[in-house]
Amino acid sequence: MKVVVDGVTLDLPPGTSAIDAVFAAGSDVPYFCSQPYMSPIGACRMCLAKVGAPRKDRDGSWILDEETGEPKIFWFPNLMATCTTAVMDGMVVDTRSEPVKAAQNGMVEFTLINHPLDCPVCDKGGACELQDRAYEYGEGVSRFVFDKRHQEKHHALSDLITLDRERCIHCKRCVRYFEEVPGDEVLDFIERGGHTYIGTLEEGLPSNFTGNITDICPVGALLDATSRFRGRNWEYHHTETTSLDDASGSAIVVDGRTGRIERIKAGHHPEINKTWIDDGTRFGHEYADAPDRVRRPLVRHDGRLVETDWADAMDYVAARLTEVNGRDVGIAIRADATLEEGVAARALADHIGTGQLDHAPRPAGGVIAAGGQARLEELAVAGAILVVGDVTEEVPIVDLRIKDALRGVTPPSLFDHGAPIADLRLKERAPRHAEILTVAAPLRVDLMRHAGRAAQYPAGGERAFFHALTALAEGETPADGDLGMPLEAATAAVDGLRKAETAVVVLGGWVLASLQATEAALHFCRAVGAKPMLLGPMANSYGLELVGVAPSHARYAYGGMLTGAKALILSQLDPAIDPAVAERLDKLELLVVHASFLTATAKLADVVLPAAIGYEKDGTVVNLEGRMLPVRAAPVDAGESRDLTGFVKAFGEAAGQRLEGRSVKSARRWLKKGLGVDLDALPEHGGWAPAKRGPARVAVAVHEAPAHGGALRVPTMVRAEVLDRNPHLRAATGGLALGLHPDDAAALKLRSGDEVTVPVAGVPRRLVVRPSEAVPAGLATVPATPDEPVGLVPIDLKQIALERRALEVA
Amino acid sequence: MDLPTLKPFFEDKPELLQEILDRYPPNGRRSALMPLMWEVQRAERHIGEARLHEIAEIVGVTVTEAKGVMSFYSTFHEHPVGRFHLQVCRTLSCKLAGGDELYRALVEETGLVSGETDAEGTFSLQNVECLGSCGTGPVLQVNDTYHERVTRTRLAELFAEMRAGREPVPTRERGGDNVSADKAERVDAPDGTSVDAPDGTSVDAPDGTSDEEGGVA
Repeated sequence: MKVVVDGVTLDLPPGTSAIDAVFAAGSDVPYFCSQPYMSPIGACRMCLAKVGAPRKDRDGSWILDEETGEPKIFWFPNLMATCTTAVMDGMVVDTRSEPVKAAQNGMVEFTLINHPLDCPVCDKGGACELQDRAYEYGEGVSRFVFDKRHQEKHHALSDLITLDRERCIHCKRCVRYFEEVPGDEVLDFIERGGHTYIGTLEEGLPSNFTGNITDICPVGALLDATSRFRGRNWEYHHTETTSLDDASGSAIVVDGRTGRIERIKAGHHPEINKTWIDDGTRFGHEYADAPDRVRRPLVRHDGRLVETDWADAMDYVAARLTEVNGRDVGIAIRADATLEEGVAARALADHIGTGQLDHAPRPAGGVIAAGGQARLEELAVAGAILVVGDVTEEVPIVDLRIKDALRGVTPPSLFDHGAPIADLRLKERAPRHAEILTVAAPLRVDLMRHAGRAAQYPAGGERAFFHALTALAEGETPADGDLGMPLEAATAAVDGLRKAETAVVVLGGWVLASLQATEAALHFCRAVGAKPMLLGPMANSYGLELVGVAPSHARYAYGGMLTGAKALILSQLDPAIDPAVAERLDKLELLVVHASFLTATAKLADVVLPAAIGYEKDGTVVNLEGRMLPVRAAPVDAGESRDLTGFVKAFGEAAGQRLEGRSVKSARRWLKKGLGVDLDALPEHGGWAPAKRGPARVAVAVHEAPAHGGALRVPTMVRAEVLDRNPHLRAATGGLALGLHPDDAAALKLRSGDEVTVPVAGVPRRLVVRPSEAVPAGLATVPATPDEPVGLVPIDLKQIALERRALEVA
Repeated sequence: MDLPTLKPFFEDKPELLQEILDRYPPNGRRSALMPLMWEVQRAERHIGEARLHEIAEIVGVTVTEAKGVMSFYSTFHEHPVGRFHLQVCRTLSCKLAGGDELYRALVEETGLVSGETDAEGTFSLQNVECLGSCGTGPVLQVNDTYHERVTRTRLAELFAEMRAGREPVPTRERGGDNVSADKAERVDAPDGTSVDAPDGTSVDAPDGTSDEEGGVA
């Protein structure tokens, strides 16, 4: 459609909003209430413009201007809110005339009537939409001489978000966000008119996606409590990188100042996380600066770990390794290491001459499906979805993309100015197609609230569940108990998957934990023609499997090397939390630990080398859909911490060898040669990983014992292994939860909030009792960590030790 | 400690609940929010938080959202109002007709200011915006009933009734502002019995000597 904005002629698709036409033409109108990926509502009245269009006569011809002979433009009688106006053929938009300027002046003055103008003490100052628009479009003077409205200034909406009600300009972005994006309506306008304020009756904002409202607030009303009063926006160094907290590959912006991470904001990746991130990713950065951070290499002298430098430490390691047969050395890295670090680990293993190389956690079923897997963009438009697992905790962004599919609006195409500011297809309170979604899990999970069908199969019954579904798909009648839902519901789910143009089956960690369950699931996907989406346990599970950071034999896998190897090099792993493993590690000839913190394993080590964490690395990760994404280091003071490429470089220097993977650059040369990908030329939004795998090494299945036991290790949005080093998140979550059915908790005389220690698969875990109806009777849920991956394990509830009883209400 | 549990309001009213829910299509269940709130408020003179939780659960919305709706309408009360909820109009027409004097008289009579309820739970006083009866100001709404052209004498009568525990009979004007106050007439009482028109001489004109408001006609 031909649209003329301030004299610039554009050709735009129908359905485009006038505000996007204005921006596409390079003009500008101010706005507060519109927000990309959310419905336009025309609430703030800032985007007013003079809008006109030609009209057709009764005979269908354009009414012509008598003087020019061109179609006559009929102006709308009043200024229009461009965010809620769709373009028409021949429409003319004027954003620069006097009436428009007067309206903009007036609206700024009106919006500022009750705004406290406390910019000098406001965290948003310098990055505030209201401040910017007031400078650009305001008169600079106010005629309002009366008292301003006074409201609460430091209202804690939750432990993570602070609300200043005086600063709020009622744009409704946060209220709409909760309804439209995660579908958790936990925030609303209370009262009305001049008394309106934002409030909640839900304690602590129960949603995994609350932090996004601090990003979209156009003023300083909603603030991230972890970064309040920490710095000015212009003092921060903004590093655009990829989150290493889960396998989604969400874009984030790390804001650092004077060598410290102060906050994390959502980045924009239109095909992954759009502009949303979960709270674990946003608020879970404080551990980078924890007091027990290892900042210098440590070497054991006379039984004590003594600070030294990398060269010294590596000389020691290289010398000691020559005393051990290379084959007896085990190397294990954590699954959020970058591709480049994976190359470095391989090079190190090759140099030492060991087949004992692995990454952990590595699910038995692998994370790369043989026949290709669904992309997030496909998930967002899927016509039928089956989820087995708890995605809201495991990879929260997948939860949001499923909710996109429920709304049935395809992702918007981008303009030069980015995502549409006002996507007119989006509506408040849009109907959701819950019937396309089936969610199955051994316990009641959050996504079931949004699902048309929910199945609760017995814990550890993933394989039987998929066998039953496959039987159903092939026209047989399966055993009822395996499905965890009525037969009709299961039939409807299977039919939906079969008939839908795009059908996606999301496989969570509980499925991938078992090779047989994964095979059964992939078989089912083929049977109904659905695409699988495998949720890898960590940020680069896909990439490390691709590069081939895997043992040469099943007995050399991570679990095996802990018992079999005579010397171990462990990066970021902490197996010594298991007392039995700790005992064995203590007897090793050499234990080299590359870690960021003085963990239980590090305390046993002969050498501890400081490891860079996710925000401090350069490199590449491959997310769960197989997309290579850049990781960039924020300027953070991490002492002498290095990533694994730095480790290998120092080792090579000590051993007199130039190893591949001694730097990001060297690793990328190997990747170019080995996998044929040029990571130096990676596009801004990443590129697809090659189908080809790393040479030589073959990923071997982890030995699988049948799952049994009374405890289900569950994925958590907050990273369990560092929760204690994240004070704000710890306060907000109340600690790691031991989920029990209320009857089971009562039988054990436990109350909500009791702090207990309980052996889970031999590992004493400190947990906080949280009785919940969501957990089936006879099962306990325990958060998973990298060393204790998701799955069913034994728990000894008889040995539960009460450390501190919750305060009783007198 | 065992806290006393409040019995759910709609627990023993399944027919009423069903009747209200049936007014709306299944996907419009949230529309039943306000009718359910009215039921609670009519019975309990306010909507407590427990009731709000109950209603939110019935219609399937979060309690925050139910609160958002409830707080939008000033006619829903968070705290109990007295047996006689006195709502005095403070918009222009009533003020010109002596609304401020009426309010002051009410303050003197009840010892309350706007927004308060007395300890006995008899009276609540509240300033409200235009009641839409501008021709017959000053207007006082007692619970759901309008009392128009409320003079001191009429106010005294009202309070006599209310203090005796009776719902005062509304005085409604005939002919609006074209008819002078002394032609006022009482309309039929709710039970159908006719009430005599008051003696014209007993009706005082509003106090025109007010120092603040100046000349009140």
